[in-house]
Amino acid sequence: MIIRADDDQRGTRRTRRNRIGSACSAVSALIVVAVVVVGAQIPTDSWPTYHGDYSGRRYSPIKHINTTNVKGLALAWVSRINTSRAGAIVGGEGPDTPPPGSAPAIKSTPLMINGTLYFSVPDHVYAIDARTGRDVWHYAWKTRGGDHIGNRGVGILDNWLYFLTPDNYFVSLDVATGKERWHHEIANMKREYFSTNAPMIIGRQVIIGVGGDALDIPGYLESRDPEAGNLVWRWNTTPRAGEAGAGTWPDEDAMAHGGGMPWIPGTYDPELNLYYFGTGNPQPVLAGFSRPGDNLYTCTIVALNPSTGKMAWYYQVTPHDTHDWDAAQTPILIDGEFNGRPRKMVAQASRNGHYFLLDRVTGEHLLTSKHIDSLNWTTGINAKGQPAHNPAKDASVPGTLVSPDTSGATNWPPPSFSPDTGLLYFGTRQTFSVMYLTDTDGRPQGWAAAERNVGSVGNALKAIDYKTGKVKWSRPLAMGPGGSQGGPMGLLSTAGGLLFGNDGGGNFVAYDAATGKPLWHAGLGTNTSNGPQTFLLDGRQYIVVGAGDSLYAFALQQ
Amino acid sequence: MKNGWNDNGQRRNRGTRRAISVSASSACSALIVVAVAALGAQQQALTPQSDPVAVERGQTLLVDQCGFCHGANARGASGGPDLTRSALVQTDEDGKQLGEFLAAGRPDKGMPKFDLSRTQASDVAAFLHSAIYLNSNRRLYKILDIVVGDAKAGEAYFSGAGRCSSCHSPAGDLKGVGAKYEPTSLQGRLLLPRGRERVPGSQQMPLYADPTGLKVTVTLPSGESVSGGLVRLTDFEVTLYDAGAGSPRRSAEGAEPGSPRRSAEGAEGGRLRTWLRNGETPKVVVSDPLQAHLDHLTKWTDTDMHNMTAYLASLK
Repeated sequence: MIIRADDDQRGTRRTRRNRIGSACSAVSALIVVAVVVVGAQIPTDSWPTYHGDYSGRRYSPIKHINTTNVKGLALAWVSRINTSRAGAIVGGEGPDTPPPGSAPAIKSTPLMINGTLYFSVPDHVYAIDARTGRDVWHYAWKTRGGDHIGNRGVGILDNWLYFLTPDNYFVSLDVATGKERWHHEIANMKREYFSTNAPMIIGRQVIIGVGGDALDIPGYLESRDPEAGNLVWRWNTTPRAGEAGAGTWPDEDAMAHGGGMPWIPGTYDPELNLYYFGTGNPQPVLAGFSRPGDNLYTCTIVALNPSTGKMAWYYQVTPHDTHDWDAAQTPILIDGEFNGRPRKMVAQASRNGHYFLLDRVTGEHLLTSKHIDSLNWTTGINAKGQPAHNPAKDASVPGTLVSPDTSGATNWPPPSFSPDTGLLYFGTRQTFSVMYLTDTDGRPQGWAAAERNVGSVGNALKAIDYKTGKVKWSRPLAMGPGGSQGGPMGLLSTAGGLLFGNDGGGNFVAYDAATGKPLWHAGLGTNTSNGPQTFLLDGRQYIVVGAGDSLYAFALQQ
Repeated sequence: MKNGWNDNGQRRNRGTRRAISVSASSACSALIVVAVAALGAQQQALTPQSDPVAVERGQTLLVDQCGFCHGANARGASGGPDLTRSALVQTDEDGKQLGEFLAAGRPDKGMPKFDLSRTQASDVAAFLHSAIYLNSNRRLYKILDIVVGDAKAGEAYFSGAGRCSSCHSPAGDLKGVGAKYEPTSLQGRLLLPRGRERVPGSQQMPLYADPTGLKVTVTLPSGESVSGGLVRLTDFEVTLYDAGAGSPRRSAEGAEPGSPRRSAEGAEGGRLRTWLRNGETPKVVVSDPLQAHLDHLTKWTDTDMHNMTAYLASLK
């Protein structure tokens, strides 16, 4: 939606600005009285953090909309994003002319606090009225560059909002007005770092991570102070010389350039005071011969004490990865029974095609299972429950046929777990590609290999029993002229017995969470591109989801 | 262009997934302007070096003066670290920081100082930045010689275990195939020959109108049956391309978000038809003309694939 400077539009804008003014003061008034506390369950009247709560389950206790009445779900509003800087609050260090590019897809999960939704795409943050979808404020960042592939969203603590930019700035805005408080550079984009993470607020700490794997650069997670944005601690995802884990690398240079980007927000157990997150793939990406060893702590689920930045335990889901299968996917916290006794657990449907269940107090491995059938890259599961590296399936000069492809069996879109069904939901792909080693130097660099995609033997939405790792139900996704479509998708389960997701064919769907039967759909024409979320406002339940450049809100007809 | 979901910096699969996926070949062959727009998210922090002469001068200087310790390709050697991975080099601006560093050296680590002119430092930096750019941009990586298999073994596989000869023949449809395609395309088509190779300058046929696209037959409660190219099948709708319908083609904009707006060559005269689905009504049967290839994906060994590639490449 580009606002042109003709008379009509100017008139519209004036009106809108007036509206914004009154909305802003209303919002700030409310914020003074309502401090949002993130807990172990998603609140009904807000969605205060990336996953709604700290558990990563994306399960809402709201059941106004349920399996019985979901047929009556109707569009409440649509909000199409505006990436023009005209009319926006503008900040940033880059040139006045924005880089060319198509409209970005909404990958952030909007936060909802006091009737306002806060969400982002690269270089832009929006506050919109949750009742109407109309603009409250828009902040536009003048970028210096960096990969604009996506932005996961914002974090909010009291009156301040935090987000990251593709050119690696950590920015704080006033929640009420969108006015910038400060920004700090956290990584250098000339080294091909870029940032997509949604800041995670834990107590008085703001946890952020960096991304990028075009060059062989080291990954790190940081805690920043919410007032000034200064560094509190930094945790390197690969060890330095002499540190624990250094023995899993051949030398200091390899580990100091070993990647492991923590690019997805994690989860948190307040009782244990542990932050759980997955790390990215090692570098060079598809060539492992210059980094023999397991390459800790890449492709690893890490439990970190957020007060100190010290690691409590780790579990590596892909030792010595050579296929770009990071373990950044959400580590979901599950409290339940396993082998007859109650456990605090963490589960991950991982990009390498396996499901992992761990004890989240100790990191003890409980279960590994395959979640797609086509995978052909491992020699089998080892004694620690890890899929073992098979050198024969590394990229080679004449080509190696690998399943899944480098995008993986699943990926970043937020999965969901329903404690009512005991099922973990996520989208899967059974793709094949040929991986060609292109850099045969003894010191390969960057990706070091090319990939040619072949096709998929079937993508599906799956529900697996967390206790057994077995598929309870599987729903094939849409078919197109080239075969199976769709795959990883953002999901939301509710106490109403529903699972919201897509069908790979451009429909937003409410599935019966127990059986996978579709009960309702809306033909958006574009697959949903973020995690759906929900809240109650004025006693009415809204379901909000992004698809491409638009945010859609649905509610029961009144 | 594959439109997948991994987006942690990996240079692929970006952005919004459309209901109708654009076939790989058509996206690749689109006008540069369109391709840039579609790949907008792929912009990198780094840009290519604009002066190849400076890069060449820098390379000569580097080999002469730095190569002994840092390797002729600057990736490091026993005497010195990899310069292309160096944070100082990666963040250098036109030799400024590098020049300052070289003027001082790092004697405590055995790195002597080098007296380079401003231009020389800029040239060395140009070479290093160029090497770093090429390392970082995997779309520019060159696939090496992939025809290394045993053509004889490939031929045996063709008529034996591969059962390829049940549909194909070297004297028939595969005649001259080794001359028609470069090896990587040939290997890709061996695995799954979906879509036609793009002929430069011609308009791309939508995959649903292509013989290699999936096919669908829709049988209505009345008993009427319609067959055509599958455009989309979901739990809620089925859309097909009826090539022989003869009636005016339905407006693509109105009916099919993401579908080509211009009527494509070969698609003239056909039309898109959609039925909403209610459970098993209407009856929908999908078939894939390439099912044998798809089924074979789980059966290939890499050796068989290499041998078959060599065999097909020999069919000049």
